[in-house]
Amino acid sequence: MRPFEYYSPRTLSEACNLLAEGEPDSKILAGGTDVLVEMRKSSAWSSKAIVDITRIPSLRGIGESGDWIIIKPLTTHTEVLHSDLVRTHAPLLQTAVSTIGSPQIRNRGTVGGNIMNAAACADTVPPLIALDAEIMLKSTSGERVIALSEFFVKPYVTVARRDEILVEVRFPKLPANARSSFVKLGRRNALSIARLSVAAVVCKDEAGVVTDARIVPGAAFPRWQRVPEAEKLLIGQKPSKELLVEGGKKVSEVMISFTGRRWSTEYKEPVIAVLVRRALEACE
Amino acid sequence: MEKKKREVRNESSTGMSRRNFLGTVSAGALGATIARPVPRASGQEDSGNLPQVTITINGRVHQLRVEPRWTLLYVLRDKLGLTGTKPGCERGECGSCTVLIDGVTRYSCLTLALEADGRQVTTVEGLMQGEQLGPVQRAFLEEDGFQCGYCTPGQVMSAEGLLRQKPNPTIDEIQIGMSGNLCRCGAYDHIFKSVRRAAELRK
Ligand SMILES: Cc1cc2nc3c(=O)[nH]c(=O)nc-3n(C[C@H](O)[C@H](O)[C@H](O)COP(=O)(O)OP(=O)(O)OC[C@H]3O[C@@H](n4cnc5c(N)ncnc54)[C@H](O)[C@@H]3O)c2cc1C
Ligand code: FES
Ligand code: FES
Repeated sequence: MRPFEYYSPRTLSEACNLLAEGEPDSKILAGGTDVLVEMRKSSAWSSKAIVDITRIPSLRGIGESGDWIIIKPLTTHTEVLHSDLVRTHAPLLQTAVSTIGSPQIRNRGTVGGNIMNAAACADTVPPLIALDAEIMLKSTSGERVIALSEFFVKPYVTVARRDEILVEVRFPKLPANARSSFVKLGRRNALSIARLSVAAVVCKDEAGVVTDARIVPGAAFPRWQRVPEAEKLLIGQKPSKELLVEGGKKVSEVMISFTGRRWSTEYKEPVIAVLVRRALEACE
Repeated sequence: MEKKKREVRNESSTGMSRRNFLGTVSAGALGATIARPVPRASGQEDSGNLPQVTITINGRVHQLRVEPRWTLLYVLRDKLGLTGTKPGCERGECGSCTVLIDGVTRYSCLTLALEADGRQVTTVEGLMQGEQLGPVQRAFLEEDGFQCGYCTPGQVMSAEGLLRQKPNPTIDEIQIGMSGNLCRCGAYDHIFKSVRRAAELRK
């Protein structure tokens, strides 16, 4: 590994100052499960300083405020897995983190790192977009709030500036009549980086008619997004088996309209359709 | 185990029985190798400008100067001689480097030594009870929870971490709890049995 400077700020403002005025080529370190792996590939690693934010207590924890759930960026996947608030108000997020890496990775990897790393296979992102999450970024020039669905440009690229710290992730609690799910296809159970995944939320009225549907595929589209074309098929309907199959096919179609046909399409086309169907069935 | 080891040493001129040989190998795999002389951490190289950390490792406080790029794995093995913790993939995929940090399992290859400043680290050597194997180590020995033994210290630490959270894990919980550790010899069946046995021995 190449040498670098190491800073361990104890407060958020200290961290912001370091990023604004310190070594211009510095990298934030949270759980390090992406950063340390990158660091080892010396060719890809050029940062001259590490700003370790893990000793800033205000960046840790899960809470609620009115109808919102707030997750601070240093919250580990294991903490999300054990959170009663998440279990009650966003169960699909809990399912998603349970599939991340391994116990050792979950004990260390953070929600903030997962979002900011912006890998196409980041497992917290499809559920968070389905939850209509927003994030707050902070720097010496102030704070800004962005809808998570607007945050990503393409894999590994976001609209965040390098001096900005993700300080909060928040989303409205799911309504009481919502059912949600996350399904993922990996190569093996543990330590599997998602090839394809789907997050879904479905709300129905007392008569069983769908009033709201949200479908977010992971690792399928050039950037994460909901698929309104498929969601519209469901709204106003009482879902039948056929309708859910239909919904899956629609997502496949939309995917191909974005990516065109390429070597992986033959595999992804039927697989994403089936995953969407399964995700929707899990919301029944 | 210690007894067996000494016997082996005494017998070595007359030839080593397979049983005793296995005993010696086991002890090594389970972290029972006698601690090597610990090199003085500071002042070894020109380390005056390096940041200093205080890490409690297996109950003993270590103050040392470390380069920012040193991983905890490197410091444990190459600076402190605690070679029970094994390097494997060194990218968070195999689990052979697993240690407990503040009681929770972590990959030491994905942890900078500086991140461990002020924390409690437990390695496989720290599970010894004096000269005796601790319960989790003993369970792996009793249940043949290893073949070549390379992955074993990591497996033992994952089992220890799991049992601290869940003293009576179900089979599912054992499989999930141990899922961050690969075994190239494929000893999984025996590893899972060892964890169950360890749960009994820890009571
Ligand atoms: C073996 C292995 C298996 C894995 N499996 C999965 C998996 O199944 N699913 C999955 O989604 N991921 C997986 N990952 C990737 C990784 O563990 C996760 O993305 C994790 O959540 C990253 O979080 P971290 O805290 O470790 O991030 P770090 O490595 O500390 O940081 C990641 C990036 O985010 C930036 N960053 C971190 N926090 C902030 C912040 N608050 N503000 C601004 N920037 C920040 C860092 O500068 C860096 O660019 C795996 C990794 C490994 C090594
Ligand atoms: S060496 Fe750390 S996980 Fe493989
Ligand atoms: S016993 Fe050989 S790698 Fe597990």
